[in-house]
Amino acid sequence: MSSPYLRRRITNALAMVLSTLATLVGLAFLAWILWETLRQGISALDLKLFTKITAYGEDGGLANAMVGSLIINFIGIAIATPIGVLAGTWLAEYADRTKLGESIRFLNDILLSAPSIVMGLFVYTIIVLPTTVLTHGSTTFSGFAGGVALALIALPVIVRTTDEMLRLVPSTLREAALSLGVPQWKLTLQILIRAARSGIITGVLLALARISGETAPLLFTAFGNNYMAINPIEKMSSLPQIIYQYANDPGDSMHALAWAGAFVITMFVLLLSLASRLILSRTKVSHD
Amino acid sequence: MPVNQAALPTDILEQRSHRDARHERLFRWLLKGCALIVLAALLGAAGATLWGGREAFSTFGWHFLVSSAWDPGNDVYGALVPVYGTIATSFIALLIAVPVSFGIAVYLSEVAPAWLRTPVASAIELLAGIPSIIYGMWGLFVFAPFFANHIKPWLTSNLGNKPDDGKLSWVAEHVPFVGKLFGSDYPFGASILVAGIVLAIMIIPFISSVMREVFQTVPTRLKESAYALGSSTWEVSWDIVLPYTRSAVIGGVFLGLGRALGETMAVTFVLGNAMQLSASLLDPGTSIASTIANQFSEASGLQKSSLMALAFLLFVVTFIVLLIARLMLRQLARKEGH
Amino acid sequence: MTDSALATNPASAVATSAVAPKLTVRDLHFYYNGFHALKGINMDIPEKKVTAIIGPSGCGKSTLLRIFNRIYAIYPKLEAKGEVVLDGDNVLDPGYSMNRLRSKVGMVFQKPVPFPMTIFENVAYGIRHHEKLSKSDMEARVERALRSAALWDEVKDKLKQNALGLSGGQQQRLCIARAIALKPEVLLLDEPTSALDPIATGRIEQLVEELKSEFTIVIVTHNMQQAARCSDLTAFMYLGELIEFDQTEKIFTKPGKKQTEDYITGRFG
Repeated sequence: MSSPYLRRRITNALAMVLSTLATLVGLAFLAWILWETLRQGISALDLKLFTKITAYGEDGGLANAMVGSLIINFIGIAIATPIGVLAGTWLAEYADRTKLGESIRFLNDILLSAPSIVMGLFVYTIIVLPTTVLTHGSTTFSGFAGGVALALIALPVIVRTTDEMLRLVPSTLREAALSLGVPQWKLTLQILIRAARSGIITGVLLALARISGETAPLLFTAFGNNYMAINPIEKMSSLPQIIYQYANDPGDSMHALAWAGAFVITMFVLLLSLASRLILSRTKVSHD
Repeated sequence: MPVNQAALPTDILEQRSHRDARHERLFRWLLKGCALIVLAALLGAAGATLWGGREAFSTFGWHFLVSSAWDPGNDVYGALVPVYGTIATSFIALLIAVPVSFGIAVYLSEVAPAWLRTPVASAIELLAGIPSIIYGMWGLFVFAPFFANHIKPWLTSNLGNKPDDGKLSWVAEHVPFVGKLFGSDYPFGASILVAGIVLAIMIIPFISSVMREVFQTVPTRLKESAYALGSSTWEVSWDIVLPYTRSAVIGGVFLGLGRALGETMAVTFVLGNAMQLSASLLDPGTSIASTIANQFSEASGLQKSSLMALAFLLFVVTFIVLLIARLMLRQLARKEGH
Repeated sequence: MTDSALATNPASAVATSAVAPKLTVRDLHFYYNGFHALKGINMDIPEKKVTAIIGPSGCGKSTLLRIFNRIYAIYPKLEAKGEVVLDGDNVLDPGYSMNRLRSKVGMVFQKPVPFPMTIFENVAYGIRHHEKLSKSDMEARVERALRSAALWDEVKDKLKQNALGLSGGQQQRLCIARAIALKPEVLLLDEPTSALDPIATGRIEQLVEELKSEFTIVIVTHNMQQAARCSDLTAFMYLGELIEFDQTEKIFTKPGKKQTEDYITGRFG
């Protein structure tokens, strides 16, 4: 056997082994992280997590953080969904191939990976500071501000999926509606968005998955609250913020609570991504 | 008069056309306004942090960038330590994540049997969906102690200095810099290196899924003709697939870098929160994002302004990195003819 | 209603029939991205007849049809020059409103494109934009359109179901019902059976025959037998030009031009 031939075969075999190894390493870390979250999370699961608030410390639960997370995430999605869907619609239906449209599509992709902590500081500047000044300090940090910060993070996800999904809608549907004399805005709102509905819902679910684990933008907006807060103009606790606080605490029982919170968030996020995958795969089938 | 004749007078039709046109204009403005919010968010984030940091910038000037001081007692601040931490952790993360991601992408597009590709790719993408705070917790409670007990002693005694007597290892004596990089007397796991590793695990799914996607854009005929000439899988990947997708691969790497630079939670837990400049990768440090996360709530005056200034720097740098990433990725899309 | 004192048409290239023209095309040119796709088309389309347009793919027959209701205008970089006169008014005039044009000219496309809503809503949707009807009037209107499209008996029990559940042929008849529900005067059919099986095709052809008592129908088809079976007049187009336009019988038995004959007899290309 000639030596260059042998060398090529060895190189190839080595490369194949290494690439397989790389994949195994990636999967191993995934398994390790999930395993630890499950193990430590499940062993810390307890009914008091859902019934008691964080004010009791290690004897307490995470009830106020869970409620806070739900409220803040809801505000974030409620703000980001209409704006994101309309902005995505503009990109796909009105500004496709225009200069401004292309630039905003491009910038939206950048916003998608922009540092979330800076978004938190932005919302701190435009909402927390002004309300502090206007109310003479009686209202400072608030669940609403946290929701706005999360909306800024959810927004590009929704814009992008809406844009992509609408561009998948066949142009014949547009022609059919326009040939009935229906104006473009009606066509867009009543037919195109409906045709792309499941894709857009997937985008909203992905956005929810993305924001429900976000911590950094909440630190200076919703801040945290050891008591149950329902009113969004009050300081509000959230699961990620409590995890951050408890994980940095020296006490082991606090760590257990943090793991329980981590477990709840991870399950929530995994369920969301599973649900969005399911919706998307089902749409593909019905389109064929 | 034919039966089907529409009973709609022209003037009513015209009136409705005017109304439709008015609604259409309103709708367009509404949509455009929503789209401009994306622009406003980016400009606003830059503007707000620049405005918040104006006091720091005007007090310290350019010196802010190169000063390693961070002294709330004397109210003197400089960006060097967190900037160094941000760059060092991100650099380590790329050093690990790029080859691993490339391996995963090659495995998934060329090596793995067809039935295995989708489940493995989905699993890797699952990794991308896990919130960064979970990585941080895992790093803090699981990986950092593991590192301190099993990896760090080996690294210090073989590449740095022996922890018990401070004697230099063979490598440290004979190879410049390496001894400094891996020497440490600090007993805990939290360090620049661990933060880099946790970041790497976090960005691997991003980079590998971009790489896998762009590898799939390589025309099959191109690969088949190379295979027909007797090329091995590795040669096809390295000589055909990689050159064809080079710009997009670099784009994917920059995308991962952008994520790594701006990440807060995954690194804050495992960086040790130490405002010190140390040559050793095994010593604790800090990054821009974690400095802000740790200090902003309790800061005021010039310290708060300095943190805002740091945020501005971070935003500008990640913006540029992500801009490069997207431009690179777009080149391949152009080649595809989109 | 506008007085439809018909403009006489001296420029008409081909003498067609004694019936007054409903739609008159005068020196129509069409360009996309600078490509000259239609080169000076002149034709008179008579009222309440079926006019078929045939020709090899790329000859411009669909393009011509898409100019009649200006649906081409939704895409950028397309330009039409010349006149398309409907009842005395040039529909290409920017002042001719879309509402007016599209309530007068309905269109059915190649592939059935039901809207993602119920069968009833599919038909009612277009009407709702143009007229405010009471619930019972609307129901009557939808029923009549579905009956005209020979679909009523098949769907009357499932009007509330999603239209995407219908078969391809049913979907296409639903699209026809949707178009005629607006009571247009002209109905444009762009290869309406190209995506359907022979049985569904037969039903649509039969429907076209029934509908011509009420509508002026223009049908573009790549299927010559279809043109022969269901049209009164046939236009043959080739490379963006109207080669011949005459009674269908004449086109298929003794065509006047060599190119037409070659195409009809399959000696083309």
